[in-house]
Amino acid sequence: MKYKKLLTTPLPRLFMISSGEADTDKGTLLFNQLNLLPESLPCMVQIREKRLAARELLILTERARAIKLPAGSLLLCNERMDIALAAGLEGVHLPEGACRPDRLRTVAPVLIFGCSIHSLASLRIAEEKAADYLLFGPIFDTPSKRKYGAPQGLEKLGEICRATSLPVFALGGITPQNAALCMDKGAYGTAGLSIFCDTLRLAETLEQFYRILYP
Amino acid sequence: MIPSSPFLCVITDEALCPVTLAEEALKGGAAMIQLRHKTASGSQLFSWAVEIRKLCRQYQALCIINDRVDIAMASEADGVHLGQEDIPALAARKLLGSNFIIGISASSVDEAVQAEKDGADYIGFGHIYPTISKLKEHAPLGSDMLRHVTSRLSVPVVAIGGISIENAGLLISCGASGVAVISAVSRAEEPSRAACELLHALKKGMP
Repeated sequence: MKYKKLLTTPLPRLFMISSGEADTDKGTLLFNQLNLLPESLPCMVQIREKRLAARELLILTERARAIKLPAGSLLLCNERMDIALAAGLEGVHLPEGACRPDRLRTVAPVLIFGCSIHSLASLRIAEEKAADYLLFGPIFDTPSKRKYGAPQGLEKLGEICRATSLPVFALGGITPQNAALCMDKGAYGTAGLSIFCDTLRLAETLEQFYRILYP
Repeated sequence: MIPSSPFLCVITDEALCPVTLAEEALKGGAAMIQLRHKTASGSQLFSWAVEIRKLCRQYQALCIINDRVDIAMASEADGVHLGQEDIPALAARKLLGSNFIIGISASSVDEAVQAEKDGADYIGFGHIYPTISKLKEHAPLGSDMLRHVTSRLSVPVVAIGGISIENAGLLISCGASGVAVISAVSRAEEPSRAACELLHALKKGMP
């Protein structure tokens, strides 16, 4: 049986991924980012701190949960449904190679499960396993992903978006300057990591994104 | 629930297929299999967990997942085994309810007492002897410390670390309800026979 989640409000169109540096900065950057989210701008926030052991990750996640986020925002963690449930998050983001969302959903029907995909083949699997949204990339050149080869590009993004009715977030080198190109290809929203690390400019960056994502 | 004493827990070896090893261990009489793999992907862990759980049901043994409470829940395993850096026992209990088994690793009496307070169903205590299976930060605890900790606790204690046919019986006589091994079974020429011989040695330690 295919499970269709009934979201009461649409997903935010902007997707912020944590820096992965919480093991060295004790979560300072993440907490700053969360505190700086403008009140009127809902955001998907994924806590992705792969270097933390589960106990530390749970502490970090609980602290992040305690921060009041803009209405409609969703706080997710990477892969660990147990952490999401223990900390009262809204969902889990599953990298390729994670446990299948349909099996996790039987345990936690209230959570949102999104999947990273890198090809049409992995799109089909994520759809079959009942993902709620997709994260596709890298669209543009980004230093952290160079070791995996050339970026996927806008054409591939368009191909993915046309092939599914699920919301697709474009990831990888997305800026307020090129976000519109992703939306033109059918993306539901855009995701980023390093562009949100400059907290001095964060509010401005977010507002620039919002003008494009919510025209 | 926790198997009757004395029992053998076999922990999977990262260098070998966990399902094959689990089946061999179960054939040899292991009453508990702990799936432990720190580098495998979530989907890989999940499929191993489902396979091992199936085998464990066949052999009326318990399937325990190391660290990953999420995988234990999704695969309907019998329980989880949590180290001191994993999700705390109290948080795990809230997620799992009372039907799941929660084992906690302790390497001191204080940790063991705390784990019992936090609702652990059994304590993995060690390492008792020097071991090559895991890099250790502290000196081996020895059998006297094991005797001490079992006298302080009412939950079952599973001794771990450097356990062999030669010392297994002694650990049971020190009050351990069972022992957990990796290499003593996984690296044996015939893992099922090694498990069977270990179990035999454990029984000799019963009062």
